[in-house]
Amino acid sequence: MSRLELINVSKRFGDQVAVSEFSLAVEDGELVSFLGPSGCGKTTTLRITAGFETPDGGAVIVDGVDVTDLPPNKRGMGMVFQGYALFPNMTAAENVEFGLAVRHRPVVERRARVAELLELFGLSHVGKSYPHQMSGGQQQRVALARAVAIQPGVLLLDEPLSAVDAKVREELRTEIRRMQVQLYITTILVTHDQSEALSISDRVVVMNRGAIEEVGTPTQIYAEPRSAFTAGFIGAMNEIPVRVVSGTQRLIERDGRRVSAPGAAGLLDGELGLLLVRPELLEPLGSTTEALNGDLLLTGRVEVQTFLGATTRLLLRELPAAAGDRSALPTTRLLAVDVASASASRWPAGSDLRVRIPVGASRVIADRAAAGAAQPSTSALTGSAASGA
Amino acid sequence: MSNPSITGEATEEYLATVVAGAEAVRKARRRTNRRSRVPLWATLVLLVSAVYFLLPLYATAVFGFSTGKHFTLQPLWDGLGDDGFHSSLQLSLFYSVVTTVLALAVVAPTAYLVELRFQRLRATIEFLTILPFVIPPIILAVGLSAMYGINSPVNLIASSWAPALLIGGYFVLTVPFVFRAVDNALRAVDVRTLSEASASLGAGPTRTFLRVIVPSISLGLVSGALLAFTTAMGEFTLAALLGYATFPVYLLNINGYEPRMGEALVLVSFLITWAGVIALAAVARRAPGTQIVRGGPM
Repeated sequence: MSRLELINVSKRFGDQVAVSEFSLAVEDGELVSFLGPSGCGKTTTLRITAGFETPDGGAVIVDGVDVTDLPPNKRGMGMVFQGYALFPNMTAAENVEFGLAVRHRPVVERRARVAELLELFGLSHVGKSYPHQMSGGQQQRVALARAVAIQPGVLLLDEPLSAVDAKVREELRTEIRRMQVQLYITTILVTHDQSEALSISDRVVVMNRGAIEEVGTPTQIYAEPRSAFTAGFIGAMNEIPVRVVSGTQRLIERDGRRVSAPGAAGLLDGELGLLLVRPELLEPLGSTTEALNGDLLLTGRVEVQTFLGATTRLLLRELPAAAGDRSALPTTRLLAVDVASASASRWPAGSDLRVRIPVGASRVIADRAAAGAAQPSTSALTGSAASGA
Repeated sequence: MSNPSITGEATEEYLATVVAGAEAVRKARRRTNRRSRVPLWATLVLLVSAVYFLLPLYATAVFGFSTGKHFTLQPLWDGLGDDGFHSSLQLSLFYSVVTTVLALAVVAPTAYLVELRFQRLRATIEFLTILPFVIPPIILAVGLSAMYGINSPVNLIASSWAPALLIGGYFVLTVPFVFRAVDNALRAVDVRTLSEASASLGAGPTRTFLRVIVPSISLGLVSGALLAFTTAMGEFTLAALLGYATFPVYLLNINGYEPRMGEALVLVSFLITWAGVIALAAVARRAPGTQIVRGGPM
């Protein structure tokens, strides 16, 4: 119900940079996830927002008001903690009521609101139970109800589902989203679980080493990652080495085959690049099928089959190409190819498989590891127009 | 024809497991048997210490509850009716209650703040709370009487502030017990996250402490209070040397001229102390699982 703005927020712990120059605007009623590996600064950013940490620099703005110097109890933000943090000496209902009691709401109103919230979270039957008498999922629902009870302008969720088991986690995350949409609460969700972030967020902020790696809708983040970090962190991503023939003409080369790659825009001529392709986009070809124009081919030997349910993942070791000069290109690491499980038996371990690489839809990034530190990489990361000399 | 042989192997394996299991059970039983049989020396130690502790009690009882020839409760009734008994007991109760309340009121918030915000001060605080164990009460008594006694410009003993002096001394003596008890309870709950949860719901520090933290550590507070109270009730050195007519001081005095009465009262106060200790043990046994419950895996 509020618009939240973080402007150039920075925080160090000793020599350690926890958050650096973090800027983000979260719109009214939006759910934004902070996603990243542990130690990437996502929790610190959340705690700065809540007021539990003081930033070294920058500002936290809620609805145009600077709250950076306000103590947490004056910010009116609801928070759900990783370990629930329910008050052990209070029943579920008393936990939910606490924030309202602090606000000196009339008892009648409090009771009504508590009953309503317990109902909304399916907790009516455990209202009189103490936290230690409830299951993890129930405790988490109480924590949510308690945070929402005070009608917070901003709701902060710190890894809310990390302590519950897998099945409950999926149920709860849908429930969180349903509740968040219904109550229209501006929400930040901190998580290291990409499926959690992708499934329920309006936007995802991918964080790495205290800084924003990129911000986008779940679809953008998954389908068109702008950085190698995002590409590697979210889902499985194949990185196929290619050589950029011309960044301006968007031409790349591999195995002597030159193809047009719109994703190569902005890279330097002659630079080594990585073609980023999701496992499910690689298309197995029959032995007789010839390559279509404009795509690349890759032949490999199946090393492992991993059954994933509807699909099966094949891990391919690339076989040397028949033609073309490969000497300058590093070999592809194991290539993941997702095929329908029903047809997976066609490619048992040890068999050879040719796959078509859909170049047109794939992004190409500079291979920073191969090119060394001298190469400017920002142009490649942002994918902006022609790079400078 | 391969199936039967597999079954045979499986049966053999199963039998082997059963045999091994039975063997393990037998061994375990032998072990428990050995453990349940108390060694002779342990029994001897127990007997000797029991005699050592119980004989004086028995002697006290025999002496206190007899006229020298036959059993009587008269010394006890005399003692309970004695004015000195009433005034000294009242005095001791007053000092003990005030000391207990004071120690809790000072120590609990301090321990909370140390745990929450001033972890760096933990070592200092712990050192301070060990001092009273290291320094004998006699030193404290001598120091206090030199500082605030009749020869001092700040003569508290002769003023209406006299109770404050003894309570101050008792406070120093009881702080270690209260701090240990409260600190243990605080460490068993996730103080920081609970405080943050409370703050996020709008509660200020005082409300958080009183409404969230205190109920979560109530068992620690109760056991700390009991320890402080019994320490103050039974304290003799400070009171005697500084000249306060507390209950223990009265007991010693009365033994001088009404020994049977004194012994009867000693026995009664001993029983009361024991009731206190048993109450404490009962509270402590209730502790795990009732109050000290974490929200979830951290």
